[in-house]
Amino acid sequence: MTQGLPERAPRWRRYLRFALFVRADVPAEVDDELAFHLAMRVERNIALGMSPDDARREAIERFGDVGSVRTALLDHDRRKHTARRRAEYVSDFVQDLKFGVRALRRSPAFTIAAALTLALGIGANTAIFSVVNAVVLQPLPYKQPDRLVTIGFGSTGEYFALRDRLRAIVDLAAWVPATHPVNVGGDAVRLNGVAVTTNLLPLLGVSPIVGHGFTTADGMYGNSNVVLISHAFWQREFAGAADVIGRKISIEGSPFTIIGVMPPTFHYPSDDVEYWQPIVVNPNNLGLIWGLGSRRMIGRLASNATLAQARTELQSVWPSLRRSNPLWDPGPGYRAHTAVTPLQTELVGSARALLWMLFGATLLVLLIACVNVANLLLARAVTRERELAVRAALGGGRGRLVRQLVTESLVLAALGAVAGVTLGWLAVRGLVAAMPAGIPRADEISMSGRALAFALTISIGTGLLFGLIPALRATRATSAGSQSSIAGSGRRATSGGSHLRVSGALVVGEIALAVMLVTASLLLVRSFAALRAIGPGFETTHVVAGRISVPYARFAADTQGVLAFYQNVLNRARALPDVRNAALIDHLPLAEPVWGIAARVQGQFEDFTRGLPMIDHMQIVTPGYFATMGIRVTRGRGFDDRDRGDAPWVAVVSQTVAKRFWPNGDAIGQRVGFPYASPWITIVGIVPDTKQDSLRDTSSASMYVPWAQASRRFTGEMWLVARTTGDPAATGTDIRRLVHEIDRAVPVSDVRTMNAVISDSVTKSRFTTLLVAAFALLALALGAVGIYGVMSYLVGERRHEMGIRIALGASRASVMRLVLRRAAWLAGVGAAIGIAGAVVETRSLRQWLYGVSAVDPVTFLIVPILFLAVAALASSAPALRATRADPATTLRDE
Amino acid sequence: MATQRDAGDLLQGTLGILILKSLLLGPAHGYGISRWIEDATRDVLRIEEGSLYPALRRLEDRGWVTSEWGLSANNRRARFYTISAAGRKHLRNEASAWLRYSQAVTRVLRADPAIA
Repeated sequence: MTQGLPERAPRWRRYLRFALFVRADVPAEVDDELAFHLAMRVERNIALGMSPDDARREAIERFGDVGSVRTALLDHDRRKHTARRRAEYVSDFVQDLKFGVRALRRSPAFTIAAALTLALGIGANTAIFSVVNAVVLQPLPYKQPDRLVTIGFGSTGEYFALRDRLRAIVDLAAWVPATHPVNVGGDAVRLNGVAVTTNLLPLLGVSPIVGHGFTTADGMYGNSNVVLISHAFWQREFAGAADVIGRKISIEGSPFTIIGVMPPTFHYPSDDVEYWQPIVVNPNNLGLIWGLGSRRMIGRLASNATLAQARTELQSVWPSLRRSNPLWDPGPGYRAHTAVTPLQTELVGSARALLWMLFGATLLVLLIACVNVANLLLARAVTRERELAVRAALGGGRGRLVRQLVTESLVLAALGAVAGVTLGWLAVRGLVAAMPAGIPRADEISMSGRALAFALTISIGTGLLFGLIPALRATRATSAGSQSSIAGSGRRATSGGSHLRVSGALVVGEIALAVMLVTASLLLVRSFAALRAIGPGFETTHVVAGRISVPYARFAADTQGVLAFYQNVLNRARALPDVRNAALIDHLPLAEPVWGIAARVQGQFEDFTRGLPMIDHMQIVTPGYFATMGIRVTRGRGFDDRDRGDAPWVAVVSQTVAKRFWPNGDAIGQRVGFPYASPWITIVGIVPDTKQDSLRDTSSASMYVPWAQASRRFTGEMWLVARTTGDPAATGTDIRRLVHEIDRAVPVSDVRTMNAVISDSVTKSRFTTLLVAAFALLALALGAVGIYGVMSYLVGERRHEMGIRIALGASRASVMRLVLRRAAWLAGVGAAIGIAGAVVETRSLRQWLYGVSAVDPVTFLIVPILFLAVAALASSAPALRATRADPATTLRDE
Repeated sequence: MATQRDAGDLLQGTLGILILKSLLLGPAHGYGISRWIEDATRDVLRIEEGSLYPALRRLEDRGWVTSEWGLSANNRRARFYTISAAGRKHLRNEASAWLRYSQAVTRVLRADPAIA
């Protein structure tokens, strides 16, 4: 029949049309037309002499099937009606669009200001959302990732026992960091690897892209010489060669055969893992490996088990294992409170809070941007009041006018969105580049479709919202006061006041938001300053440190040889030009976690079954460490060559240890011990507390033991620290060279001054602080623009009044005061609300703060003053303009 | 099937021509058109009056007629149809094609041998 008509309109358009148009009454028209025809025929038949009944029957007979004709006509007319409406709607929209673009081009300053404001808000949000999305929201790229859980760490023996006994957690796997010197062909390098149980990859549902994964036999004693390498390793060392399978690399000096390459997206358990090797288990000798352990365990919740059930089971099974430990009984509380953590929660960890905080900051920026744009649009709508009044008078319906204004702001929002998404895209790349190490899943961050959809939603949302409010207001004012507006008289009186109230309220809200953000940022900046102001307790500028990694296997096989190697390194380092002193330490402070130890204390805590106190940090050092680091031995002595392996065991403790256990007496000569059966260690010296784990350390009980007496705890890896009077960089190079000359199979890594070490240790804080500060500056600038806008508008509106005041003899200074007072009022109210909000908001910041209170009085005083100053500055130009109001001109205008 | 559809098309097309032709006299409502066809064909071509209206819609869709509501001679609300310029042109083309066709058929039928 009627072919060529388009299909039904999409739902949203039908909906819009339904909202915006009154439908014509199609059925009535069809019925009228058919009824007319039949009536005419009946009349004629009667005129020809038929009875009324016959006349009707004959008319219908002539007509045919009235029902089906009616249906066909209704169908046709409805379709046609729809098509026409649609065409009208589209042409209206195109017209609005053209009109909007033209209107925006007429005022480029407004357009650029508004679009830029939106772009900044949208850009910042898109970028941060991209990161949040990739790191926090996206499910992990593993099989059924929401069922994967971690249960902490234990020994290999505990792992086997738990694997066999747990019912709520199945497929339990384990891994342990295995960072070793690796040699592919040239010099050895220190690479991050992990040893895993052979069921880990099947558990995660990941398999190699080249070659194959581990078999169960690979985890058996004597078969452990196979390895899987990361995609990055493959590309870097083998240029992605297909025949990499079967090649050998040396790990810790032993040959390993490459059996597979993992996908580029696989980074479990962390982004910097380069290879995976099986955890070696000797099934005939489980007893030997039953000891202290650091096997991290991961498993899958059984299909019928909940997290809570798994926790309950684990907390009853694990403590029961403690008796099986032949070395020491860790006490009845052992593992009684172990948590079962979803893998995603554990991986994302602290990054989650950081990212949500940044996202909160950008949302504040976006809100402020939106308020600003709304204000700009509002001010603009008022200046166009006359135009709108004319259009309304000429018959433009209110709906039509609103639609036109909304289209205009949508055009604006689109401009903002395009610029914002571009900005966001650049910002994502910048963020990824600047991101501190340790943000998990950093390689997955990109402008995803989800982030784009998010950006699109917020920009369209802002466009609609902030086009609609001014549009509704403007057209309401218009329909009410159109006559007077057109007449031109009294228009200031009719609507200016209420517009100003709305503008004022918007600016107050904007300033309140900005105050919250600036307060948070200032607290972070002050925290960071406080953090950097802390002395670590040792010399930083002239000390160079570097990590030397002797393969543990070699150390285990030839302890004396390795000790001799280190002694050799130490002697030659001390002989370097400009080097005044050098020493070795097993964990460089502030560079890596420094582990603590539960300690026995003679006469106070001797029975481990009744709980032992923690020493927060335990360090193994060579004689000369305190001198090299500039740590003064306040009582007793440091270590020297007397403290050999066969001499009585000695230790140096920090002040906190001495004070805690011997508050009234002298710690020198007192004895402490390891938690398991071992000789007592005599304290021979006391040093000040120093920062070990991080500058934020709040616990500083440290214990140092001489390396010759600590071979049990020694891993083969040591940091060389050297104090130099010359160029630290040159000394660093010398250290690399001399180790290389002694043994090419021993890699040297992370050579830096202690200053650099400290700076690197606060990267995350710096990153956060900088970002939030940038957002706060943005908010401050937007707030200033907002005040400027509303004050300019106010001065324009009240030009007459100012002119009259001046004409009546008011001084120009008093007129200026009038404007400034108004600005100060807005800023003051905004700041007051903002401060109240900040008191609530900064509570959630506590974990990021250091050395300042969440309601730091200095910050809470400075910020309002800052905003008052900004308000004064931003309104000074409009205020000056007000004083130039010319009485003659204004009166003539009137 | 095919022949049936052809017949239908012919009929529809024919009905369109009749309607357009009737409108040459001036705007008319549907009933007026059916009366005119009745008179002009002296009731030889008995059309089902109901089919007039879908035909009118089709003509309107093609732009050959326009319609608007008005008052009939006896002061009732009725929908009046008017032939457009495009409609006149279409009628001219169709009419000459129809005439040529019917003359040809007539000639054939009149040729020898005569139909008994």
